[in-house]
Amino acid sequence: MSLELKPKKWAGAIRAVTLGSGSRKPVTVGGGNGLPLHTFEGVFPHRPAFALEITDVDPARWAEAARGPWDGVLGSPAAAARRALREFGADLVMLHLCGTHPDRGNRTPEEAAADVRAVLDAVDVPLIVKGPGAGPRQNDVLARVAEEAKGEGLALHSACQEDYKTLAAVAVAYGHILVAESPIDMNIAKQLNILLADASVDMNRTLIDPLTGGLGYGLEYTYSVMERIRLAALGGDAMLNAPMICLAGEEAWKAKEAKASSRQEPRWGDERRRGIHWELATALALIEAGAEVLVLRHPETLARLRTQLDCWFGDPAPGGDSCR
Amino acid sequence: MPLTGLQIFKLLPNTNCRKCGYPTCLAFAMKLAAGRESLEKCPDASPEARAALGAASAPPIRGVTIGRGERAVTVGEETVFFRHEKTFVRRPGLFRILDPRGLSAAECGALLNDWLGVSIARAGETFRVDGVAIVEAPGAPEAASAAARRGFPVAVLAATPEGAASIAEPIKDQRPLIVPPAGAAPAAYFALAARLGVPLVVAGADLAGLASAAAAASSAGVGDILLEPPGADLRSLHHSLSAIRRGALDRVHPGLGHPVFLRAGRGEFEKAVLGITKFASVLAIEDHGGETWLPLWTLRQNIYTDPQKPLQMEPGVYPLGEPDSRSPLLMTTNFSLTYFIVSTEVEASGVAAHLAVVDAEGLSVLTAWSAGKLSGDRVAKSLRQTGAVDRVSHRTLIIPGYASPISGELEDAMGDGWRVIVGPQEASDIAPFFRDVWEPMRAR
Ligand code: B12
Ligand code: SF4
Repeated sequence: MSLELKPKKWAGAIRAVTLGSGSRKPVTVGGGNGLPLHTFEGVFPHRPAFALEITDVDPARWAEAARGPWDGVLGSPAAAARRALREFGADLVMLHLCGTHPDRGNRTPEEAAADVRAVLDAVDVPLIVKGPGAGPRQNDVLARVAEEAKGEGLALHSACQEDYKTLAAVAVAYGHILVAESPIDMNIAKQLNILLADASVDMNRTLIDPLTGGLGYGLEYTYSVMERIRLAALGGDAMLNAPMICLAGEEAWKAKEAKASSRQEPRWGDERRRGIHWELATALALIEAGAEVLVLRHPETLARLRTQLDCWFGDPAPGGDSCR
Repeated sequence: MPLTGLQIFKLLPNTNCRKCGYPTCLAFAMKLAAGRESLEKCPDASPEARAALGAASAPPIRGVTIGRGERAVTVGEETVFFRHEKTFVRRPGLFRILDPRGLSAAECGALLNDWLGVSIARAGETFRVDGVAIVEAPGAPEAASAAARRGFPVAVLAATPEGAASIAEPIKDQRPLIVPPAGAAPAAYFALAARLGVPLVVAGADLAGLASAAAAASSAGVGDILLEPPGADLRSLHHSLSAIRRGALDRVHPGLGHPVFLRAGRGEFEKAVLGITKFASVLAIEDHGGETWLPLWTLRQNIYTDPQKPLQMEPGVYPLGEPDSRSPLLMTTNFSLTYFIVSTEVEASGVAAHLAVVDAEGLSVLTAWSAGKLSGDRVAKSLRQTGAVDRVSHRTLIIPGYASPISGELEDAMGDGWRVIVGPQEASDIAPFFRDVWEPMRAR
């Protein structure tokens, strides 16, 4: 007997958002009209994109295993960006301006702008720029960066419900993408997008950061909130249908289980591979839940995800949906 | 397919006698269809009505138990596609593959003892090796018996029906799961599983083949069935896993209403991740290292908790080590993850301490604070109620760094000469905090 399951059709689709303009080679994400990865019943014009995280100053708190591949370029963003692209095959780069935080180096907006300029000169892929975190410094830094990179279509990370006006204005004025961050909450995600739309931000130029909890530390919440955001988008909600970005690397490598040495925890196995697995499991689960821009730390995580998704979004082998 | 209200109504007596508590049979039928009432309330319902409703209300995915006793693994009985609809209930069993080739019986035994000793406590759960999947090879029957004797549920990764019989038969009372090799002719395995009364994995080249194989196994007398989904890569596997779950929930074919079995070979970590998130019920995993298992256990813990309801600790005072009245008194919230992290760090510091867990509705420190569940009054009240204040003589309370905004109001609310000290933000800094702040303070 034949067994045909009716493909699920949805009223809505995810917006396609293009990162990078001006001198950047653009990267488009989103545009799909089915549940995440449901390539057997939906149409997905773009596959998820992978960014690697680089920093303006040496990120002392990064786990040894995550620092290893970046040996010699930590805190040298231009060199790190080149390595991210040429050696590690990233689609995008996320420059985390952690050194602009008052307690972590207190670098000035001018210095931040110079770092961004250096990275723009070093590579031609789109850039995500993450500020030091919510607070007045975030706005000063990102506003100056936005001006410096006018017309380059940066993704500015990030605006939140309590503080979005400055970044909304500079994103519009200088032609950038705005990442709207909400703390694992679908209603806040929607509310923030409504506020941004009211502030004249083009909804085709925003991304949702649903705030990722890493594996073992909030993934249980994030995963379902993202699924629900996706379902709302596919149901036609125009304020929740932006592609989602997840800082999977940052969250995964925070976990003690990703960092602890094998000496401390002999039962936990090889520490280098454990960290990569922690990041891989976090990122893959988030992709299943709907993430379309993944920011990672370890190039091996990226390579392994790339292998899987190239297959996933590649052409099916004749006579089946297997891609090998 | 669940019955509609009207379909149920046609099965009822239609006397509107009100014995069920509803004014009409139709009203009662509507409640039944919505799953809000039980047919028991209608004393006059016919046996046919009971049978029809019973079939429609049977779980869409059957439950299967592998093994016996304390370690037995029961899977299936899931009712939803998305976990926010109604939590996934039956955590998948993670089986470790044991290939006896090249191992002596003693070596097998030592390995099994080692696996038996695995017990990792994390956020309210104990991670263990749930079962052992034995590869058919010389020495396999002995290894299987050794595993069963230790209480492990056993899966038999068969190569031949005869081999499977020689491994499974001696331990048939322990309900081993028989897993035929890929592409095997099924009939002999059906007969074996039916004869031994043990669960069996069936496979198919596509979804239709899989469903009819399951139906055929049923008719051949196999009572408990698991499905091995077709798929050589993650994409096709994801397709079959999703289709099986959807087909089972929509009751498109009875052959799809069984739990799913998956093998993850060497290095196939991604496949195991997909299996855990997407509905696999038993996974046989070839890699043995903690770097593979710890993330998979944790992922399973995340996916199989209720996203609405955080895992909570009972509020109270927990002794860490053997504290006395001069030991430090720390405060944290009753989110089990928070407790787990803080208690682990305190224990690692080697300093005995009292850890007071206050009721913050199961929220983490920052979340609780921003949700207003961590006010000075509330914390002070909880510390009094749980008797935390009586455990120490020094009247000093250490609070999490992220709770610093409440330190003043908490000190006021505690009164009685209590002092509130703001500890570090991250639990990993507790050991240096004890050394650099607590000890000198106590010495004074
Ligand atoms: C998961 C999560 C949730 C989950 C809840 C999980 C839970 N059970 O608590 C959900 C989705 C429900 C949630 C809801 C909200 N959340 Co929330 N949430 C998070 C998230 C991602 C992780 C929290 C977590 O689990 N941390 C892990 C635990 C272990 O941390 P912890 O309890 O703080 O413990 C650590 C330390 O405090 C320390 N420690 C603990 N105890 C002790 C004791 C002593 C003595 C010492 C020394 C140290 C110590 O050790 C631990 C490890 O270092 C954080 C962001 C983040 N990445 O941190 C936001 C976050 C905490 N949430 C936030 C907010 C605003 C909210 C909401 C108010 C908003 C909303 N989304 O609706 C609601 C409030 C909930 C409610 N009931 O109303 C904000 C808080 C902002 C602020 N600075 O105040 C955060 C920081 C996100 C953000 N950046 O905006 N949240
Ligand atoms: S008890 Fe049965 S027959 Fe009587 S009204 Fe209720 S459903 Fe109808």
